[in-house]
Amino acid sequence: MILHDYVLSASCYKIRLMAALSGQQLELQAVNFHPAREHKSPEMLKLNPGGTLPILRDEDLIMTDSSDMLRHLTRNLPEWQGDDDGWLDFARTLNETLGMARLHDVLGFEVDIDAARKRGVHLLRLLEAHLTEQRFDGMIFLTGDTPTIADIACFPNTALAPDGGVSLDVYPSIRLWMRALRSLPGFIEMPGIHRLHELEAAE
Amino acid sequence: MTRLWGIVLNWIAVGLAEDIPVGTVVPRRVDGLDLAIWRSGLGRFHAWDDRCPHRGMRLSHGFVRGEVLACIYHGWQYDLDGACDYIPAHPDLTPPKTICANTYVCEPRNQALWVALGTVNGDVPDIGDRIPIRSLDISCGAPAIARYFDHPQDPLIVLNGKYDLAIALQPSTSRSCFAHVFAGAGQDKKIVSRYVEKLRDELEAA
Amino acid sequence: MSDSSKDHWYPVGLLSDIYTPRQTLLFGQEISLTHDDTGFVVKKSSGASLPTIERFGHLWTSLGQPDHDLFVIPEANTPGRHLVDVGSVKVKCSPLRAVENFLDIAHFPFIHTDILGAEPHTEVDRYKVEIREGVDEVWATKVKFFQPQAAKSAEGGIITEYMYRVPAPTCAVLYKTCPPRPKEWDIITLFVQPLTEEWCEVWPWMALYDDDSTMAEMVSFQQLIFMQDRSILENQIPLKLPLDPGMETPTQADMTSVAYRRWLKRIGYSYGAQMVAA
Repeated sequence: MILHDYVLSASCYKIRLMAALSGQQLELQAVNFHPAREHKSPEMLKLNPGGTLPILRDEDLIMTDSSDMLRHLTRNLPEWQGDDDGWLDFARTLNETLGMARLHDVLGFEVDIDAARKRGVHLLRLLEAHLTEQRFDGMIFLTGDTPTIADIACFPNTALAPDGGVSLDVYPSIRLWMRALRSLPGFIEMPGIHRLHELEAAE
Repeated sequence: MTRLWGIVLNWIAVGLAEDIPVGTVVPRRVDGLDLAIWRSGLGRFHAWDDRCPHRGMRLSHGFVRGEVLACIYHGWQYDLDGACDYIPAHPDLTPPKTICANTYVCEPRNQALWVALGTVNGDVPDIGDRIPIRSLDISCGAPAIARYFDHPQDPLIVLNGKYDLAIALQPSTSRSCFAHVFAGAGQDKKIVSRYVEKLRDELEAA
Repeated sequence: MSDSSKDHWYPVGLLSDIYTPRQTLLFGQEISLTHDDTGFVVKKSSGASLPTIERFGHLWTSLGQPDHDLFVIPEANTPGRHLVDVGSVKVKCSPLRAVENFLDIAHFPFIHTDILGAEPHTEVDRYKVEIREGVDEVWATKVKFFQPQAAKSAEGGIITEYMYRVPAPTCAVLYKTCPPRPKEWDIITLFVQPLTEEWCEVWPWMALYDDDSTMAEMVSFQQLIFMQDRSILENQIPLKLPLDPGMETPTQADMTSVAYRRWLKRIGYSYGAQMVAA
């Protein structure tokens, strides 16, 4: 499988992370999203006329939607799928708010930043409420006590919210959920999400 | 001594004990003061200024290893008294005693965690046998919240009523608080949680 | 803000990019960048034109009266190098904090874990630091560090040698071991544009020997490294760089940053700096 990838993209990271957690190999092809806008080049537009990243290729299959990619990567792994549709849609709204705030603050994208942050906070409160109620029932992940593509889809934009000026300090359940994901065997980071150094004691 | 709301204050709640598991560190802003609250491997809580003495990095981004908190930037380790006891760039150096995080007295009680910002004066407030619900951020100043409940300005707001609520208020800034919510033993946590969300909506609309 | 802070050249855009007009800030003032038949034009909001220099793939300008040319990096001109525009990243911190972080290696095992450093290889050996009087630049030499992946072109862990150079108050140049050509240095620079005293736009640029990586891969590697630093930079207190001792505690490993702060004080540079220990 080939992933046309941008190292700083939260959506590309969802796919890199899902592959790593499920032990699947991806051949990463770096795209110069910034500053060269290579994802809008004629060659890339031939592959994906929508001009977006990530693009996942599995033999003849070409996927351009990250939810489709997550489903594809876990099609033979039922433990990673579940009651996800609502959460995959929720992940899209996180991208449109927290994700865009981040692109504004980091890469200078034109965004109504106050609206993006305000709506992002509203979504984080919804997420916090749900994860809190999950904890009441003894569960740490979005749809149960094991992670699914719902968690992977929602994690990157949530964890990177501070890059866009939205703090995560006041969401204890979100923090514990992120910690549980970061502790999973095979977890990989991306810039803005630190390694959990606690897990390896220094010699 | 710390004055908040015009009265001398001592203990402020900074969270539910269950939200700060062993081996973790969290940030808390109390009346504009940034703290790093962490729990050691053996379960002891600590409240420190959220600032590494090395280069000013927030300690709340750090990591706990056993009985030390390490700063994420250069890995400097601080022991239970706040003293730096290891500098990874100079592994054989005994760090000078002057390198020390600024610490505050911190006490868990009834499943809440309390911090004394000044000299300890009086007992940790008593939540009784109530159960912890959750912590909720509210974009509203502490005095306004107390007025809304027709309650004296106090770090612990005890509400008689349906859910036997006790709200330990942590003022973060003049316009925001972190409310640590407890309810009567036997209450349904989800019902109480949704109720306080509605309270928050009302407080923020006002 | 001291006038002498303005009397330097600052990066404000990529030469490859300014075919679309660009609005930006320099020292809190709005400036506009355009390109016409005469070339690149930088103007203040009053309409007054500012002087420009095109170098290292970037457009440089000044709001003041620099009494010197923009610095040069002769080694970057050797043939066969890839000149890499990494693109800018904005950071909510003092421009001086961004430079100082670039000069630091003790953070590699914790922030650039398994790339530029890894536990337990955390020790920073003594190195040499000086302020070279003739050119009035800060230089650190004989810096060595074990790196699991020193560059996109490296295969496996190596001991990397470094030299750091500060040729201007908000610019730093790193010369590091070049894995494919051990007799040459790879060159990685950080050019920092002060938007305000607590907000900057960082423009990394590189001149590397690497015939195996694509341009996108080289850009990605450097953006990855810089973005790992960004959440540190935005969480250092105070936001401005303290130039007086007292609040912070340097050790032997921090000698480059100590020299940098001392030099800033000496040249009277105060933009983004805090003079009195708060």
